[in-house]
Amino acid sequence: MSDTINTAQAVKQNIHEFGESIIEISHLQKSFGDNHVLTDFNLHIRRGENVVVLGKSGCGKSVLIKCIAGLLPYEGGSLKVFGKEIKDLKHKELDNMRASIGFVFQSSALYDSMTVRENLEFPLRRQKHGKSKQEVKKLIEETLENVGLLSAINLMPAELSGGMRKRIGLARSLVLEPELMLYDEPTTGLDPFTAREISRLMLDMQHKYNTSSIIISHDMQCAKLTANRLAVMMDGINYAQGTYQELSQLNDPKIHAFFENL
Amino acid sequence: MENKKEETIQPKSQGAPYWLSFLPAGVQDFLTETGETSRFAGKFFQEVFLPPYEFKEIIRQSYEIGYRSLPLVATTAFIIGMVLTLQSRPTLVRFGAEAWLPAMVSVSIIREIGPVVISLICAGKIGSGIGAELGSMKVTEQIDAMEVSGTNPFKYIVVSRIISTTIMIPILVIMGDGIALYGSFLAVKAKGAVSFTLFFHQVFQNLDFSDVLPAIIKSFFFGFVIGLIGCYKGYNSKNGTEGVGQSANSAVVVASLLVFILDLIAVQITAFFGYI
Repeated sequence: MSDTINTAQAVKQNIHEFGESIIEISHLQKSFGDNHVLTDFNLHIRRGENVVVLGKSGCGKSVLIKCIAGLLPYEGGSLKVFGKEIKDLKHKELDNMRASIGFVFQSSALYDSMTVRENLEFPLRRQKHGKSKQEVKKLIEETLENVGLLSAINLMPAELSGGMRKRIGLARSLVLEPELMLYDEPTTGLDPFTAREISRLMLDMQHKYNTSSIIISHDMQCAKLTANRLAVMMDGINYAQGTYQELSQLNDPKIHAFFENL
Repeated sequence: MENKKEETIQPKSQGAPYWLSFLPAGVQDFLTETGETSRFAGKFFQEVFLPPYEFKEIIRQSYEIGYRSLPLVATTAFIIGMVLTLQSRPTLVRFGAEAWLPAMVSVSIIREIGPVVISLICAGKIGSGIGAELGSMKVTEQIDAMEVSGTNPFKYIVVSRIISTTIMIPILVIMGDGIALYGSFLAVKAKGAVSFTLFFHQVFQNLDFSDVLPAIIKSFFFGFVIGLIGCYKGYNSKNGTEGVGQSANSAVVVASLLVFILDLIAVQITAFFGYI
């Protein structure tokens, strides 16, 4: 069992700057057959905090947030979101909890058969039955305006560029006004300029909607811009965590090699 | 405690159980696939009666599946009706039984050719369409996105499509049968003087409920397996974009095969009750 390298600043920030813990992951284990993806993963996230989980491709970063969203079952350890153990939740309870979680997928996952408006309407219809048609319309327009794409409201996903799809994916998650955002490689496949725009937008939206975030990425620029804290995933564990400055100066050969190669 | 466990997220089964390991790999795969498909069908029956009911999606899918398949079904049925008549006529003429042509053609179309051929066309068009659509939704994480939105993707995507195919395919079969008979009438008319009224009088005189009812009932089952297999293959699509093509392809092959197997079973049941 390996311990995570915690830098002093990370511990201090964690205790003083942010609110109560909203995600508590302890000794999490997840395997696919003989492939042990998460062996002993530990991570705590507090309200208002942005944590970027860095790691090589295929190391299990996406598996981690899919476990947090209840999309994948896990075999061992504990994973508490908003104080509730995910694997003990019934489907109905999980659906209720998901109303407070926004998930931005790597591929944006926009529904191909629906317009942008319908894509944003879909989670609203499913989660907030109390809203009138006018309120829904207003909320959708406001959210699209926040991501700068109100003009695309009647377009189909096939008519959007990669960057626009990411923005719409973000808007679709924000429309439910979640407390926690999960981003799966939000800048992958984008040119550096658009990637930076998306990173800034994520940060703006975090301030505007007052969310906490887990950002899965291997884009160091995105990490530098958005993270309060970085967690480095290696061999299925949270190998080290701290601010960008601290981790880049850490005297650990593995971290050193990792930062040099990214 | 047992109940609670069943309702929470559980890992899906993987591969054949160890006690089947003495069987050849191909047999194991076949049994696993059959078991998984049955489990998928079981889940459909479990979900179909429980609220919330996705009526809007069922209507949308019925429009997509039924209305959009009508031109293809109508064209094929019309040609089949004409060809069957033109091919049968010389033999009947040789035996002096030309007057039996409407009766023979109508019984063939209504009992067998209509339901089977139209279902096979639908297995090709609708089964592959559903397989590819669901496969691509799976690959692009749209199904996960739906689940995160608090929607039961199985109910929204799978149940609505299976209900739609189960309802729409019998309707397409009935319409296709009518169009095939009209094609047959035109073929008869082209070769000799026969009125519309006389032709259809002869058709209905030789048809009874034992011809029509079993054919319609089996069409419901054909519709069900086309929807079920299309959804199963698409929903369990693997290997990225390559898997989407494989899902569409195997949906057509398996659904077509099952249509023939169900038809064979239907014939045996009909014979058992003395309707042949």
